[in-house]
Amino acid sequence: MTEKKDYSNQRTFLIDLTRCTGCRGCQVACKQWNQLEAEKTTFFEGEGYQNPPAMSEHTFTKIKFRDYQRHGYNEFAFYKEMCMHCNDPACASVCPVGAFLKTPEGPVIYKPERCIGCRFCMIACPFGVPKYQWSKTFPFVVKCTGCYSRVKEGLIPACAKACPSAISYGSRSDMIREAKSRLQARPDKYFNRVYGMEEAGGTSVLYLSELPFLELGFRKVTARPLPSYTWAALRLVPAVFLTMGGSLAFISWLTHRKERLRREQEERNVREHGKEGQ
Amino acid sequence: MTNHWNDLKNSDCILAIGCNPAENHPISFKWIEAAMEKGGTLIAVDPRFTRTASKADIYARIRPGTDIAFLGGLINYALQNNLVHKEYVSEYTNASFIVNEQFGFKEGMFSDWDDRKKTYDMTKWRYAVDGSGKAQRDPTLKDPRSVYQLLKKHYSRYDVDTVCRVTGTNKDDYITVAKAFCGTGRPDRAGTILYAMGITQSTHGVQNVRAVAVLQMLLGNIGIPGGGVNALRGESNVQGSTDYGLLFHTLPAYMASPEYMDVSLAAYSARYFPKSSEPKSTNWWQNGNKYMVSLLKAWWGENAKAENEFCYNYLPKRSGNYSYIPIINKMAEGRLEGLVCMGMNPAVGGPNSLKAREGLGKLKWLVTADLWETETSIFWKRPGVNPKDIKTEVFMLPAASSVEKEGSISNSGRWAQWRYAAVEPPGEAKSDLWILDRFHHRLKELYKKEGGELPEAITKVAWDYGTGHEPDVHRVAKEINGYFTRDTTIKDRDTVLEFKAGEQVPAFALLQDDGSTLSGCWIYCGSYTKDGNLMARRDPADHPSGLGLHPGWAWCWPANRRILYNRASVNKAGRPFNPNRPILAWNSATKKWEGDVPDGGAPPIDDEKGAYPFIMNFEGVGRLYALNMKDGPFPEHYEPAESPAKNLLSKVQNNPLIKIPQNISVDMAKYPYIGTTYRVTEHWQAGAMTRSLPWLVELVPDMFVEMSETLANSKGIKNGDRVRVTTRRGSIEAYALVTTRLKPFLVQGKIIEEVGMPWHFGYSGSAKGDSANVLTSDDYLSPNSSIPEYKAFLCNIEKGGNHA
Repeated sequence: MTEKKDYSNQRTFLIDLTRCTGCRGCQVACKQWNQLEAEKTTFFEGEGYQNPPAMSEHTFTKIKFRDYQRHGYNEFAFYKEMCMHCNDPACASVCPVGAFLKTPEGPVIYKPERCIGCRFCMIACPFGVPKYQWSKTFPFVVKCTGCYSRVKEGLIPACAKACPSAISYGSRSDMIREAKSRLQARPDKYFNRVYGMEEAGGTSVLYLSELPFLELGFRKVTARPLPSYTWAALRLVPAVFLTMGGSLAFISWLTHRKERLRREQEERNVREHGKEGQ
Repeated sequence: MTNHWNDLKNSDCILAIGCNPAENHPISFKWIEAAMEKGGTLIAVDPRFTRTASKADIYARIRPGTDIAFLGGLINYALQNNLVHKEYVSEYTNASFIVNEQFGFKEGMFSDWDDRKKTYDMTKWRYAVDGSGKAQRDPTLKDPRSVYQLLKKHYSRYDVDTVCRVTGTNKDDYITVAKAFCGTGRPDRAGTILYAMGITQSTHGVQNVRAVAVLQMLLGNIGIPGGGVNALRGESNVQGSTDYGLLFHTLPAYMASPEYMDVSLAAYSARYFPKSSEPKSTNWWQNGNKYMVSLLKAWWGENAKAENEFCYNYLPKRSGNYSYIPIINKMAEGRLEGLVCMGMNPAVGGPNSLKAREGLGKLKWLVTADLWETETSIFWKRPGVNPKDIKTEVFMLPAASSVEKEGSISNSGRWAQWRYAAVEPPGEAKSDLWILDRFHHRLKELYKKEGGELPEAITKVAWDYGTGHEPDVHRVAKEINGYFTRDTTIKDRDTVLEFKAGEQVPAFALLQDDGSTLSGCWIYCGSYTKDGNLMARRDPADHPSGLGLHPGWAWCWPANRRILYNRASVNKAGRPFNPNRPILAWNSATKKWEGDVPDGGAPPIDDEKGAYPFIMNFEGVGRLYALNMKDGPFPEHYEPAESPAKNLLSKVQNNPLIKIPQNISVDMAKYPYIGTTYRVTEHWQAGAMTRSLPWLVELVPDMFVEMSETLANSKGIKNGDRVRVTTRRGSIEAYALVTTRLKPFLVQGKIIEEVGMPWHFGYSGSAKGDSANVLTSDDYLSPNSSIPEYKAFLCNIEKGGNHA
């Protein structure tokens, strides 16, 4: 996977947080489309009106609130936590049964029928996205599907459709171009970065913000695609398997051949000697 | 709204005061964002730092109930710094009108106050008139008795320092707001003011809106794209409900409902449809009689004839204030036999909930029509009550939701958008139309059989909406539009128009006062014509100006005119003040207006047949000085009825017209904090529609109150603790949300804290909680509109659910 893939046509979200009002239309649309359960909540969990406490088997996306003061001024900020649908997803790379797939359209989807519940993906994902079905007897890992069932039919994801203004959806190259043009047109309005351009090697979810991302609570994630860390070793596995295994098998065959030839010689000796003795 | 939602994108400066569009109109907020994309400025003025404030370029804090001080300060700033739109003010407002010598204002009171009747003698406020009855004018605006000079003098007391001491706003923030907003007085700049319940739910609510209007007229912002006085309506069809006269004091299309002294149609018309002696004033209400007659014809059909004044006698005549609070008071006194609540939840939505709930138990019968059980329909088994003690017979009618029935909804921008039923209502749920239709037929039968008081008023009603199971809503819509009752010929300028009986009236200008037309609501005349149901149109194309008119999308009243008073957007020759945003322009070659539907078809003023732009006022111009407001021609700041502060603008503490009951005085020692109420995105009004939807309950499951860190610290309250809030009316328990978004106010040297809360909760539904309106008062009402003062009261708060 070291060759450079072209992601420019992949379906990508552009989430402009300067437009997000924290209305949670996206959260509810996601629940409705995926027919997810409502969680039992009390008061609020976290800053502002945040609910439910965390993403889970029942919550594929969540608006996180920040309610704080910055240089003496109030900041009340909102951002959408969701699967980043990475270009080179760590979850797909570590899954021993290949239950994750980066589709050609862009969404990283998940095949529950293959999942063995090992939760390797939960450890590997740098954004902490895949969640485990703790409540089920036969539990699987679940996460945002990028609304692949809709995208395949030419529709846009449910959250993007419900959002009045903050979420745009289109090809990665278009979304990057749009993000850059906004940064250029209104440098006073934006923090000068597009989160998701480089994180984990680039993702299909890009963010613009007025406030610094780390201050909001976004994670600091390496620009290297996660699979590249293990790829150096993993890519040698077939070759190692074949050469080491093949060599050892050959040596074993050679060693056993000597023994086999000696045994065959003995059997022939026994048969010939037996005939003369009469 | 004078303008409409899409038009907000045209604004250079949006002042959101007493409203919270990001939270309460999240989808329409995108138009505000569109304006900001183009460089427009959003100003949020609110007691709390809301989700709207988080998006705003400028935030200014304001103490609840001090909006007139804030707006008065902006009026003064504009006048003192020469930021007004001079041509607009002198030509299109009554700035130049001379006020008679008897008008005055001294020490907080206008002249003349009748201390016995507790009202003003409004005859003292009239214009000074010449021999022919026309108002005298000074076009130079220098006469000290001119409205302009009187206005300037009145608001000279609203200097920035005084204003900020009253409102608790930081002075630098205030000046930033003033500079930004008053900068829209330039002809090439448009400023819009958005407002909602923060402005209206006050003992001076109507004067708050007047202050908004005065400021906008001074800045030349009315009638232009990106300008206007824009109310953000709170329920999806409240605009429709007020349009169709559901308020106690109006008939459909905002005609006044007659009172007992309006003994005949002629007397009524003389009182409400004024004649104007100003030749350049269109004075559109002079046509009022045609609309009244057409309405009476719609209601009593063939029975309404010229000889019987079109059954005017059958109209009920008011002899008092029949608004919400007097009804609840009467009910609470046991003097009401029955009550019908259709989609209305007095147990949660009105002030002083405990009184309302008690009062419901004194009814002989109650009918509710709702989608779910509400606190009102189950008042008889509410917590703390034994159903055996309540004798009220309760009928719950299941109602269809908006997606289960066909009809129109009118949005804040006056756009009536037709909708179809997507699914059948569940079980026995019925549309409101079906319910009312059945009521009508049954009542009619009972009156026919049993007689009663004035049975003809009901038995002679013309009611023909088809014979199917479900009344035909299209027939209702067509009747609202109106049609000709007989073959009619009308001379319209140079043409002769011929209409057949039963033909739809194409425009309200053709409604007649001789019984040849009927119309259920004249402002909707033109919405359903022989071209079909214009409200159902969905052409997304914009007008070539690109100003968001979308003339082919649905239909708006009146006459599909998107921006009201748009003839104030051009100068006297008919050229737009701002050529970059031409909503309307006069083509002197074709002698026609181009652009939006002109507000009044008359040519611009310079033309010999020209007319002034404010056609609904008899003067034809906008009123900086208002003749018909009970509490004064100029908005004046008074403190809310329950206030922690003394009035700094004058010696008169409260609006003299509000009737504060004798036995009430608020003890600040007992109730030291300001209380206010509001809404969140995630719940709807009294909560019946949302507190049983799991995905919404998940977001906001519990009643909470918001307070500052300093208040929390002083009471030992931490975020998430249970607290108890108490007022003179009652006491509630809730979770505490501690935040820096609320801060105390510095009021005359004292620190006054504030407690805010949403009012969505009640004891019914799956997410239950205490109701904020247990705390609010029904004692103090606006003298013009009778609206209660929900937004500013005094309360106390204690940790742990203990009584304060």
